[in-house]
Amino acid sequence: MAIAHEFSYERPQNLHAVLELKDSYRNRALIYAGGTDLVVNIKEGMVKPELLIDIKDLPELHKLCLDNGTLYIGAAVTFTDLIDTEFVFQACPMLHDACKTVASTGVRSRATLVGNICSAVPSLDSATPLLCYEAVVHCASVEGTRNIPISEWFLAPRKTAIKDREVVTGISLKIPKEKSTSVYLKLGRYGGEDLAQAGWGIWLNNAYQYRIAHCALAPIPSRAAVIEAMLNGKELTPQLIEAAVALIPQEINPISDIRSSKEYRLHVSGVMLKRGLLAAIDRMEGRVVEPAKLLGGIT
Amino acid sequence: MKDYKFIGKDITRIDGLEKISGAAIYGDDIDFGASMLHAELVQSTQAHAIIKSIDISEALKVKDVYKIFTGKDFPYKFGLYMKDRYIFAQDKVRFVGEQVAAVVARTPGAAKRAAALVKVEYEPLPAVLDQMEAIAEGATLLHPDLENYPHVPWFFPKPGTNVAHWRKTRKGNLEEGFAKADFILEDTYTVPRYAHCAIETHVAVGKFDYSERLTVWSSSQSPHTQRHLFAEALGLTHKNVRVIAPHVGGGFGGKAGVTMEIIPAALATKLKGYAVKLRYSREQEFINTYQRLGVVAKIKMGVDKNGEITALDHKIYWDAGAYVEYGANVVNAVGLSAIGPYRIDNVSIDSVCIYTNLPPGGAYRGFGYSEMLFGLESHVTRMAKTMGMEEIEFRKKNAIMEGDTTAYGAKMNPNGLIECIEKATAAIDWGNKPVPSDPNKVVGQGFSLLWKAPAMPPNASSSAFLKFNEDASINLIISGMDIGQGYQTVMAQIAAEVLSIPPSKIRVETPDTDRNPYEWQTVASHITWSCGNAVKKAALDAKEQILTLINRVYNYPIDDLYLEDEAVKCITDNKFKLLLKDFVVDGIMTSDGTFKGGPINARGMFMPEFSSTNGDPETSQGGHPNVHYTVGAAALNLEIDKDTGKMRVLKAALAIDAGKALNPDLVRGQITGGLVQGLATVLFEDMRYDANGKLMNPNFTDYKIPTAMDIPDEIIPIIVEVPQPDGPYGARGVGEHTMLPAAPMIANAVEDALGIRIKSMPVTAEKVAMTYLDSNRQQKNHE
Repeated sequence: MAIAHEFSYERPQNLHAVLELKDSYRNRALIYAGGTDLVVNIKEGMVKPELLIDIKDLPELHKLCLDNGTLYIGAAVTFTDLIDTEFVFQACPMLHDACKTVASTGVRSRATLVGNICSAVPSLDSATPLLCYEAVVHCASVEGTRNIPISEWFLAPRKTAIKDREVVTGISLKIPKEKSTSVYLKLGRYGGEDLAQAGWGIWLNNAYQYRIAHCALAPIPSRAAVIEAMLNGKELTPQLIEAAVALIPQEINPISDIRSSKEYRLHVSGVMLKRGLLAAIDRMEGRVVEPAKLLGGIT
Repeated sequence: MKDYKFIGKDITRIDGLEKISGAAIYGDDIDFGASMLHAELVQSTQAHAIIKSIDISEALKVKDVYKIFTGKDFPYKFGLYMKDRYIFAQDKVRFVGEQVAAVVARTPGAAKRAAALVKVEYEPLPAVLDQMEAIAEGATLLHPDLENYPHVPWFFPKPGTNVAHWRKTRKGNLEEGFAKADFILEDTYTVPRYAHCAIETHVAVGKFDYSERLTVWSSSQSPHTQRHLFAEALGLTHKNVRVIAPHVGGGFGGKAGVTMEIIPAALATKLKGYAVKLRYSREQEFINTYQRLGVVAKIKMGVDKNGEITALDHKIYWDAGAYVEYGANVVNAVGLSAIGPYRIDNVSIDSVCIYTNLPPGGAYRGFGYSEMLFGLESHVTRMAKTMGMEEIEFRKKNAIMEGDTTAYGAKMNPNGLIECIEKATAAIDWGNKPVPSDPNKVVGQGFSLLWKAPAMPPNASSSAFLKFNEDASINLIISGMDIGQGYQTVMAQIAAEVLSIPPSKIRVETPDTDRNPYEWQTVASHITWSCGNAVKKAALDAKEQILTLINRVYNYPIDDLYLEDEAVKCITDNKFKLLLKDFVVDGIMTSDGTFKGGPINARGMFMPEFSSTNGDPETSQGGHPNVHYTVGAAALNLEIDKDTGKMRVLKAALAIDAGKALNPDLVRGQITGGLVQGLATVLFEDMRYDANGKLMNPNFTDYKIPTAMDIPDEIIPIIVEVPQPDGPYGARGVGEHTMLPAAPMIANAVEDALGIRIKSMPVTAEKVAMTYLDSNRQQKNHE
């Protein structure tokens, strides 16, 4: 399929040049890292940038490291980089789980986590670990840097807190010092790559503190604060899980679309929350969990 | 059983190296450098509207745009079985996506930019998006001048309505049949539309040179049919139209007949000297090629207390789309065969082809039988349960046997239906369900029979040329398409068997209608049977030429001569051996230094001369519209997560009577591929339209086709061989059939596992979970 839109392309060799270009073009320039959303959007005429700024030549944006309990993910780090990095799984199992559910192998080898949160679709798998690990989004412009908590990042479907002249340089996640674990469950329509019908991420620690986030169930990916508050400090029992499930209608606001009806999303969220909590306990106690198999349909 | 050297053997595909090495040429590889122009379509945004005006002025200003064409440039109608279609919309558009105009430019990007600037003004008309609404009183007519449309004699349109064809089949006495019944079950089943999703989208290049000769390269299952329709529609003589069909990246029926290929062909005739390419995007592939038809089927079946089916009333209403030139034959085919593989004395079938303001329906692997069998095989399982008989026993009791009469009165061909039933059920240990892998899951078993006949005009024919080369290798020149089924290999095997030449020494090229002999189309699972017969005849013609020559030179009686290991031998003289390579081109030198013989060139042709569509229009009795049926049976174990509804096929077995599997490995490939494709149509695929007739999922984001993650844990392909008397070495077709049982088999397994009956496709995880939830709630309320 031909690309009808014509645009300019720059591949700057330092961040300063990127920021200068972004400052002068503002929303007429788009950042090009993986391009897996961007190129499709250009092809389909959904965006018509005058300039693409390719950031892949900037070594600092490829940085992926774990220092002093902080996991840092540069803007050009791909999903495959994250999946293949052992310390990511150790530090943040939910992020590993979520990355593995994004698109297909080929797309994951190009697509970046930062690009993903800039697209900011409601079904954003990677948002759930970022919300649970209370990530910070690092933005830069010619005027300096700005750190935006992930809780303030998503404003509406496909709309974020970034400004026209800003570029996201990376994300950092605080890895808790105490013993904790996490898991991400995604429901899709079949075994292959899919956008989530529903996604639930669950984090817990050895003090019975819980952090729970969901995607595809509201206009933006969100934390389930009411459920967290009810669970915090309590050991999981079947009764407690049922009580948490009962709160789901207060937490989510799903719509009916081509991927799922609202009713199925409400119903299946209960199944996912329950199985997710049990899977998190399994992980906490050292048992191997394969999230892709927890909802059936897959060998 | 006769011992064959190449028939029935797992011969490696002869086109394999060409394809995996990248040597194979496909439609999109055709290039003419600077004289190549690219077309982009302007497509209707309306489901039903009058075209008030088309303004191309802004579009013409775009750099690199060469010309823009609209319906006024091509006031021609075309169609395979009914001429109801246009190259470009004329005064009206009838579906969202219909081609209204085409921009021709020097680059695809420029064509697309300009196409977006063509302004079409529409006056909307009421759109009819549902076949049941379309046949209701007072429905808006799509084709008010239907009575003037030329069509084949076996179609029965109803002018003044939206009914494009109504196939009626009547046998016995329906009322008496129901009077004899002790149990009657009546219900309605629905099936949505489906897309073929071949990985290669449609592409064609048209070139009209200064000698007024039209050449079209197209990704096609039907090069000769395309040539014929191009010649007819564009007013050219057949000798001046040449269709070259390179390799095809998947067809599944979607590249049968003519769809978009006529556009670059027609555009080329106005752009002498240039080549014009039209390549569909994935979205266009979804919205403006043939689609599988949607179905509403009403079934009423009567059974006596012994389990004999006494009556079947099967009414099938087809959503055939805006133009039915090909799709109406789907309706026709099923209207003759909607009894399924059962012996039923009292039958009434109404198969109704209905115009709707949705894209044209057409051929799709299975040709309507999948849609029909979803209802019928769901109903049969329920019928057995209703009267208290085990469903396999019920099916065996009513299974059609050789010599039984079909719905239209002809005799059923030899078949191994009972053997298929027994082998499929044994393969999954029918009656013994495996234990579910965890407490959230349950396992169900599902079963379905299948049958299908090729749907062809009675004179659909195949032909073959065969020529020897100096080294006794062979060029086999035929015009079917290898669309993945292994056609080229199997045709080579047939020639190889007759001529004792290994298949690896036989080249089969993709067709060029200038040079290759006539073939109707690569559709209907008829190509192995029909073209196989033609190839066998061509090979026998070559053999006869060879033996006659030997007889002439050496005086051995022809009956004493035979071919073995690329040589002629004689049963009465074991010292005689003449290698084919020593004479098949150069001839045989005799004692006086003269040569006898010369290049061996042979031909073969096959037409089913016994076939006839002269059935009574009110009953379908009297003709012989179907050449034969292929039958089979399938069974599976399905594990279902009760809470999410997610399903996993643990084991699936499909037994099919191939008559003779000429290449068992390829037949097993068809079984595996067809079953996976069928399972996808029931588990997650479907086309969804909004209230304005716009397709909501014209992409793989929201139209899901199976990945490696969606394959059953185990597939057991089973080949049964009850020979087809008029097939090459006893073979009959299996290609389409392998997807037919998938949908009812899943619906039956879901009921077996959860006690819920789903009567509409697809049977998605969501539908299963929500239906099960509702049934549990109802049960609780009841208690």
